[in-house]
Amino acid sequence: MTKKYAFFRGCFVPVRLPHIEAVAQKVFSDMGISLVNLDDFTCCPEPVGVGINDKMTWLSIAARNLAVAEENGLDIITVCNGCTYTLRHASHALNSNKQLRDKVNGIISDTGHAYKGNAKVSHFLEVLMNDIGTRKMKSAVKYPLSKLTIATHTGCHILSPKEIMEFDNPFDPTTLDELVMILGATPADYDKKTLCCGWALMTYGSREGAYALLKDKLGNMKLAQADCLTVVCPQCFYQFDMGQWIASRKDIPQYNLPVLFYLQLLGLAMGYNLQEIGYDSHKVKNPEFENKIKMR
Amino acid sequence: MPISLEYKAKNELLQKFPKIETCLKCNTCALVCPVQYAGFSPTNTYVNNIFSTQEPEKNPNIWLCASCHKCEEICPYEVKPLEVIEALKDEAFEKGYAPEAIREEINQVLTTGYAFPIFQSLHFINRERERRGLKPLGERKVGEIKKIAGKTGLENKMAGWKKK
Ligand code: SF4
Ligand code: SF4
Repeated sequence: MTKKYAFFRGCFVPVRLPHIEAVAQKVFSDMGISLVNLDDFTCCPEPVGVGINDKMTWLSIAARNLAVAEENGLDIITVCNGCTYTLRHASHALNSNKQLRDKVNGIISDTGHAYKGNAKVSHFLEVLMNDIGTRKMKSAVKYPLSKLTIATHTGCHILSPKEIMEFDNPFDPTTLDELVMILGATPADYDKKTLCCGWALMTYGSREGAYALLKDKLGNMKLAQADCLTVVCPQCFYQFDMGQWIASRKDIPQYNLPVLFYLQLLGLAMGYNLQEIGYDSHKVKNPEFENKIKMR
Repeated sequence: MPISLEYKAKNELLQKFPKIETCLKCNTCALVCPVQYAGFSPTNTYVNNIFSTQEPEKNPNIWLCASCHKCEEICPYEVKPLEVIEALKDEAFEKGYAPEAIREEINQVLTTGYAFPIFQSLHFINRERERRGLKPLGERKVGEIKKIAGKTGLENKMAGWKKK
């Protein structure tokens, strides 16, 4: 039986990284999970810009999004740490505080939606682990990535605060490493693994700081012999791919570390080629990495 | 007291954020914080930098915080730097000091339902989507967002700043 999820694509993936959206559709459909697009979804809204500055508007727009999934009888799957953070924060806040929920329902009442609290929010990594399971994933791996050492970057907002996100240990996350091992690859043991990607630095005020951060983080990955790095959030993807490309034209060394969304790696291990997982859209490419993929 | 708050608003500030007084400047938070790359050193931790300026809500450095929660999870004295930074941002936003990037992002969410501008380049975006076998993007339910922002008062606030 095919399980269905409401596909909460957010803004970044469908607009700037459509190849990630396409690979998510392919991989999950192969695994027997159907991702349903709902036209009524809006921006989650983004937590750092909107969430902190106007909490009520943030919670209310998020509640409306949750209500949209609920009214369609579906749970939500996300492809972004930020969307997961916002939607899970909102469910947590509204489910644990009836007064707040009533207030928010009052605010969204004119939109024709009402939040009841029935739609569960899962990041795609959680769907892979909990719904599909490691056994089924292993059997889907037809072309193990055994030649690759991969640096994992889980990112911040899926980990913290851990009481709400309930995903992994914020200072020693291992889930993504386990998922990399399922693909037959070796996770790189590198320093500064839980350091942020620097997206907020780049966007809200210190480009130079963001370049320095990238230099440190990518340098440590390189030291640990990584062939590429993997991420599970579009901001992290963009920061490491586009950011690395821009930084490499400043004064940081050329690391040439390709960035792969975890679903792209899974796609490669399932037998899709580089073109099919959208590698042609990437800014940072590396022939050595490409060879290791072709020889897998 | 470890943090040097010497100016007149000091008492008011400590009342609002009593925990900053217990900050020992041990720099543990700055070691896990991404802003360390923007020039914060052990003698000038993030918390210290922010609270040793006259009007901390005007300090542009508050906007560098990614809300990654690492400081609050690691601080041995439960200072929770993030909590005070978020409260300062909130105050700064109310007073109209938020940087353009933040205001523009909120404006985009309220007027388009996307977090950043897409309609100028929609043709290009949709060509790329089509190449990947995906349906084109279009308008989002902006009318409903507008109703929400109308009720929370955010719409009015934004309009007020535009006039200024
Ligand atoms: S970890 Fe806590 S006590 Fe130490 S500098 Fe940071 S806020 Fe102050
Ligand atoms: S939450 Fe903000 S202050 Fe705290 S570690 Fe993260 S970026 Fe730094």
